[in-house]
Amino acid sequence: MASVVLSEAEKVYIVHGIQEDLRVDGRGCEDYRCTEVETDVVSNTSGSARVKLGHTDILVGVKAEMGTPKLEKPDEGYLEFFVDCSANATPEFEGRGGEELGTEIVNTLYRIFSNGSSIDLKSLCINPREHCWVLYVDVLLLECGGNLFDAISIAVKAALFNTRIPKVRVLEDDEGSKEIELSDDPYDCIRLNVDNVPCIITLSKIGCRHVVDATLQEEACSLASLLLSVTNRGTLTCMKKLGKGSLDPESIFEMMETGKKVGKTLHIALQKTLEKEESLGTTRQKVGFLG
Amino acid sequence: MAGLELLSDEGYRVDGRRAGELRKVRARMGVFAQADGSAYIEQGNTKVLAVVYGPHEMRGSRSKALHDRALVNCQYSMATFSTGERKRRPHGDRKSSEMTLHLKQTFEAAILTQLYPRSQIDIYVQVLQADGGNYCASVNAATLATIDAGIPMRDYVCASSAGFIEDTPLADLNYVEEAAGGPQVALALLPKSDQIALLEMNSRLHEDHLDQVIEAAIKACKDIYTVLDQVVREHVHEVTTLLGE
Amino acid sequence: MAAMELRLPVPRKVVSQGLARGSDKHLVAPGDTITTDTGYMRGHGTYMGDEKLVASVAGAVERVNKLICVKALKTRYNGEVGDIVVGRITEVQQKRWKVETNARLDSVLLLSSMNLPGGELRRRSAEDELAMRDYLQEGDLISAEVQAVFSDGAVSLHTRSLKYGKLGQGVLVQVSPSLVKRQKTHFHDLPCGASVILGNNGFIWIYPTPEQKDEEAGGFVTNLEPVPLHDREVISRLRNCILALVAQKLMLYDTSILYCYEASLPHQIKDILKPEVMQEIVLETRHRLLELEG
Repeated sequence: MASVVLSEAEKVYIVHGIQEDLRVDGRGCEDYRCTEVETDVVSNTSGSARVKLGHTDILVGVKAEMGTPKLEKPDEGYLEFFVDCSANATPEFEGRGGEELGTEIVNTLYRIFSNGSSIDLKSLCINPREHCWVLYVDVLLLECGGNLFDAISIAVKAALFNTRIPKVRVLEDDEGSKEIELSDDPYDCIRLNVDNVPCIITLSKIGCRHVVDATLQEEACSLASLLLSVTNRGTLTCMKKLGKGSLDPESIFEMMETGKKVGKTLHIALQKTLEKEESLGTTRQKVGFLG
Repeated sequence: MAGLELLSDEGYRVDGRRAGELRKVRARMGVFAQADGSAYIEQGNTKVLAVVYGPHEMRGSRSKALHDRALVNCQYSMATFSTGERKRRPHGDRKSSEMTLHLKQTFEAAILTQLYPRSQIDIYVQVLQADGGNYCASVNAATLATIDAGIPMRDYVCASSAGFIEDTPLADLNYVEEAAGGPQVALALLPKSDQIALLEMNSRLHEDHLDQVIEAAIKACKDIYTVLDQVVREHVHEVTTLLGE
Repeated sequence: MAAMELRLPVPRKVVSQGLARGSDKHLVAPGDTITTDTGYMRGHGTYMGDEKLVASVAGAVERVNKLICVKALKTRYNGEVGDIVVGRITEVQQKRWKVETNARLDSVLLLSSMNLPGGELRRRSAEDELAMRDYLQEGDLISAEVQAVFSDGAVSLHTRSLKYGKLGQGVLVQVSPSLVKRQKTHFHDLPCGASVILGNNGFIWIYPTPEQKDEEAGGFVTNLEPVPLHDREVISRLRNCILALVAQKLMLYDTSILYCYEASLPHQIKDILKPEVMQEIVLETRHRLLELEG
């Protein structure tokens, strides 16, 4: 993980500040940095999104391709994740330097989406046991400014919201073999229901309190963090502890409560922004990286 | 591609351009705050990001440091969603390694490396959307990023591709024209001194036509230079005005 | 109470059009010919290319008598003797420390160039060499002055005065060196209640003003007592103001930072980093600075 080195005195300053609910940039312990979300940034994809959370910049592209369903789940489609930690973020990620971090993020994403309630995978099925849609979700990490998991989960949810899968018709001819026909109209497509897609909230324990959305400097002061996956109704679907320190059970319960509260606020804000963007339609001025 | 005319009888290409016309170029410098220099360029539907770190102390093995000049280290990477068919590995395959080497050679020729002995300059290029001319757009983006980082260069490095269809040289090929399999030339040029930093040709081309194609590529590079120069001057003007004094 | 702000990106506007200043400077890009007159000496940012002086970076041309150089918009730090810098220790080697100062090569702090605790003046012994880590460790921040510049551009630092040395509690902000204005002094005690060191290398250190100027420690004993809340608010506000000035590309010096601080008082500290608030307070700062110049 890209990290900064801090002196002892700087760490002490940060820890004391958090005890008094005043972080270095003036935020409280439960405040997020100003975030920007934009969808439909890359056009070779079925859906894409870009999220800028402080100095963290994430680009997610979703490609829908035809594939065969997995043997144990013959009437469902599935999602495949891939995370590329680009050398743009820091020279440490050059070559294979970013693979470890990438694998950690991919495993977390698989765990979150493995339970059937996040995405309706049955809607991705075309022909049971023969054809289904496979969604390849590719995450590109462009700049690293702390709090990667949260930003990636927001970007994945926004990209899935933006994904348009072409409608297909199954034609059966006399011999019983099936043929797939893609609809010619590019606007004739199915959208995914992302209401139940959870978002990740990372809570870092610093001193005796915990903070949301830690910057790189704050992450250097925290020995342990709790990663929670929260749905829009405040349900926890996944939990993981990170870091080399230890947490006592009481802190874990406190962090869970904060995580649920913050998670609900996050989902409401994200849904509102995505709907606002949708309502602007073609009048929206695409900003991308040029703006 | 059966039935697809790359050059119509009236002289129009697949996307409506004329033979020597470039795609629309839009660029921006200073995209990321944490890097020393960064730039973003869009040439038609090809979108490329370039980031420069340095010059800084050699990381890793100090023994690789050159005692009289700086080491230029590049990486060319394509996002897995950038191509029509999903790419399995962003970098590390043969094509990316070749592009990385080309970028390194091109920029070693242009950057005044003898001013920075024992240090290292990192140039990282990320292709977000690939629609033909990926290497050329990468070179152009890396030039802007290097200028943004304040690293001294001999001159701009502008790159463009050119092809040859039905006795007409075409400038700035897009993906459809590249995939058609005709001859292609990629050229990187230092515009003021007319020095060629990199020249690469694929497929078969009769040597009588080579001059024409290279001329078309040089002209396209000079057109790109005009656009990039304008972007740089606007950026310099804006920042100097903001800084005041 | 959680606060979450998610917004759609807005294309940025070219701010310089609204400013009255017309730039009559000669702006160049790499490859441009500056002059064909051979009487000039060439400085930074230029090179000689058959009979003419050519620019190698993008920036403004500066002409001082017979010396022509081009000042680039953004560069790494180029050390000059006498500069004040703030740096972070990256390595402890034999008889010296390697310091990161945002330059193209790591700077060097020799054991003999550092003041010992208590301000003693003696020759460094072998025990001092073994105890180097007790003085400065990897990750520590120091303020120092540039003593000499080696031929390859690496910088040698010294902390031989009592105002330099290891830094205690505070906040570090990293900006581009070209944004820090050269002044007579770089140590400022701002009237709003905090102190600032504006390093020439772009590292800016904001710290609570020490109550007494206690000289004997020479900066080795760091005070790890909690800083009072009021001072923290001032420091956080100053940090956000400096980031706002950097984003809007205004030169950093004590007056500009102070005016920006005063312009930001009506807003909450965490709101200063929002793009529209940043623009507003920096614009106000610009106006006040223009009025000051008269």
